[in-house]
Amino acid sequence: MEPLLELRDIALAGRDGRPRLQQLSLQLHAGERVALLGPSGAGKSSLLAVANGLLSPQAGSVLWDGVPAGRGRRRQRQQAAIGTLWQDLRLVEELSVQQNLNAGRLAAWSWPQVLLNLLLPLETDACRQVLARVELDPGLLPVPVTALSGGQRQRVALGRLLRQGARLLLADEPLAQLDPPLAARLLQLLLQLGSAPRGLLLSLHRPDLLAGFDRVLGLRQGQLLWDTVPAAVTAEQLEALYAGGSGP
Amino acid sequence: MNPAAWLLLPGLVLLPVLLLLPLALHGGGWSLIGGFLAAAVQPSLDPALLAASGRGLAVTLAVALWSWLLSLVLGLAAGLLSAPLVVAELCGQRWPALVLRRLLALPRSLHELLWGLLLLQGLGLQAGVAILAIALPYGALVARVVSDQVEALDPGPLRALRTAGSPAWAALLQALGPPLLPGVLSYGGYRLECALRSATLLGVFGLGGIGADLRLSLQSLQFREAWTSLWLLGLAMLLLETLVALLRRRWLLPGASVGRRGRELLLAGAVLAVLLLPAGHLLGLDGRCLLGPWSWPAPTDLWTNAGWRQPWPALVGSTVGLTLLATALAVAAGPWLVLLLRPWPRLLLPLQALGLLARLLPPPLTALLLLFICRPGVLPAALALAFHNAGVLGRLLLEQLAAQDPRPEQALRSAGAGPRRALLQAAFPAVARTYLAYGAYRGDVILRETVVVGLVGAGGLGVVLLEALSSFAWGDVVPVLLVYAGLTLAGESLADGCRRRLLLAREVG
Repeated sequence: MEPLLELRDIALAGRDGRPRLQQLSLQLHAGERVALLGPSGAGKSSLLAVANGLLSPQAGSVLWDGVPAGRGRRRQRQQAAIGTLWQDLRLVEELSVQQNLNAGRLAAWSWPQVLLNLLLPLETDACRQVLARVELDPGLLPVPVTALSGGQRQRVALGRLLRQGARLLLADEPLAQLDPPLAARLLQLLLQLGSAPRGLLLSLHRPDLLAGFDRVLGLRQGQLLWDTVPAAVTAEQLEALYAGGSGP
Repeated sequence: MNPAAWLLLPGLVLLPVLLLLPLALHGGGWSLIGGFLAAAVQPSLDPALLAASGRGLAVTLAVALWSWLLSLVLGLAAGLLSAPLVVAELCGQRWPALVLRRLLALPRSLHELLWGLLLLQGLGLQAGVAILAIALPYGALVARVVSDQVEALDPGPLRALRTAGSPAWAALLQALGPPLLPGVLSYGGYRLECALRSATLLGVFGLGGIGADLRLSLQSLQFREAWTSLWLLGLAMLLLETLVALLRRRWLLPGASVGRRGRELLLAGAVLAVLLLPAGHLLGLDGRCLLGPWSWPAPTDLWTNAGWRQPWPALVGSTVGLTLLATALAVAAGPWLVLLLRPWPRLLLPLQALGLLARLLPPPLTALLLLFICRPGVLPAALALAFHNAGVLGRLLLEQLAAQDPRPEQALRSAGAGPRRALLQAAFPAVARTYLAYGAYRGDVILRETVVVGLVGAGGLGVVLLEALSSFAWGDVVPVLLVYAGLTLAGESLADGCRRRLLLAREVG
């Protein structure tokens, strides 16, 4: 079976011309939950932006389900299979929970449905199910997202990915702003959602939350230092990863 | 310096005005002014006149409605197409938006009266002229506001939806539509009030409606008849302002659900669309008139060397002088009156009524009244412009003061400060920057409006332009039009700079 995501010899330059990613290759298969570990500035966000198609690399190729990026409608279908949990969530603040969940369906919907989403609550049953999966009260559906707590908002953003039907889940430092018990619960949820047939690539800067992942990647200065299972990560490897602060 | 002091500073302009006023007065028509004011309480109730005034009002309302809706449609479309964020999503390039943005400066540099006269030459006298004359500059103004608002939005949600595979237009609608809506609604409501004022003004210059009735009855000194029109117009304006304020409060409530608001908006839109039909019928609108026959001057008439030989420094100087004088007076009037009347809260109502009168009386008619007692010149023109704009600015000031947290002022009052001191120390500093920022914008409006008071001998570019247009002297029209447009664009960017600095300082401070 083709990997959900494959990066081959990726090179990406930053705005200042310095390389942000170099000679980077990796594969992620369905059912794999992969942690991306590295100090801040290592290129974790850049890697995720290449993986979800937001940035095009200068060299190398990106394949989703074994297929390179297409154009037009085909590209939209490819993008719909990739779900990104953004660090700043990127919810539409003026809309309700239900409307934000349904915003995940835009790729699949016809234009009357897109218009109606701004006027009426659509596909309520599906939205209820999604809320249950992300462990939120279905009573929150008509509530504006501005009225929710930070943790609830994160779950709504996660629910939007499920509504989207994404199989490759990408998450950029989702645990950074949360206190430890909340972070542990969200991580459990992400690991659960990332199991087969989906896959999960999640960036972290703390090495103490690796239990539960199937693989760990160590990223430093835009290069993969190692790719292993969590139990095999040694103190020396971590030290090499974080040595000298956040790099040059 | 305390920002409250800035509110009172423009009042210094009153000193030279009060010194010069006795020289400008000729005193011949005080009895006429008295007659005009006395007629306020005894408007003519002649049924035939009432019916005619009602019809005039209906025409003005119809012109306002059509031109407002047209300007919103044009403005929204042009605004979105001149927002780099939107255009980059649709065609991958930012530059078409930037080019369109520059081009839109041209239609908004001319006052709607000038558009009216230009279109009148091309299309002949018909209702469509007034509608287009308002819709074109208003559309360009709306477009600028819309594209500025789009640029100020967070592009994050849009990128997120696009990355999730959403088509460009669906992502634009869902991610930018809801955050854009409150600003567009609020500004749109304000534009409707402006459209009613502009439709009245165009009537004064012969494009039909209640403005024409008003001018006729004032010129023939039939003050009781004039007041019939004024009362009707005032009632309509009051109703409209109240309705707009009501809808604004309902739809801009934080946390209001977009779904419910969207359904109500659709309903409101449907009601307006249905209203368009009888309004169009009343005006005798015929879309085919836009197709021609157009009667434009020959290109050789447009460009003559003689047209460029104008006393430019004097023309530009008097236009700028008139603008500065009128702006200072308009900005100063509200704060000073509120300060003076503070100890007597009951006088607030007459003050509000005066403001309403100022807003509904078009500046050329105020100038006409002033000529009963004043020699023609810059002063009556400046006073007329200032009176009208003070009415607009004053309403904003009163609204702002009413929306202020009353506790600081109460604290000062209970510490023994007099009502005026408490107002000056507590409420004025809180509203000063927003009020002055709006005053800067108003200065920009006044610069364009200098055209409409050309009648009273104020001089300046506007008079030359009006005379050249009405005498078909195209060789003079083009150069003056270009200089006038350049001046208003310079004024606009200056006012923008002032406004941005004032509002920025508020956020930092």
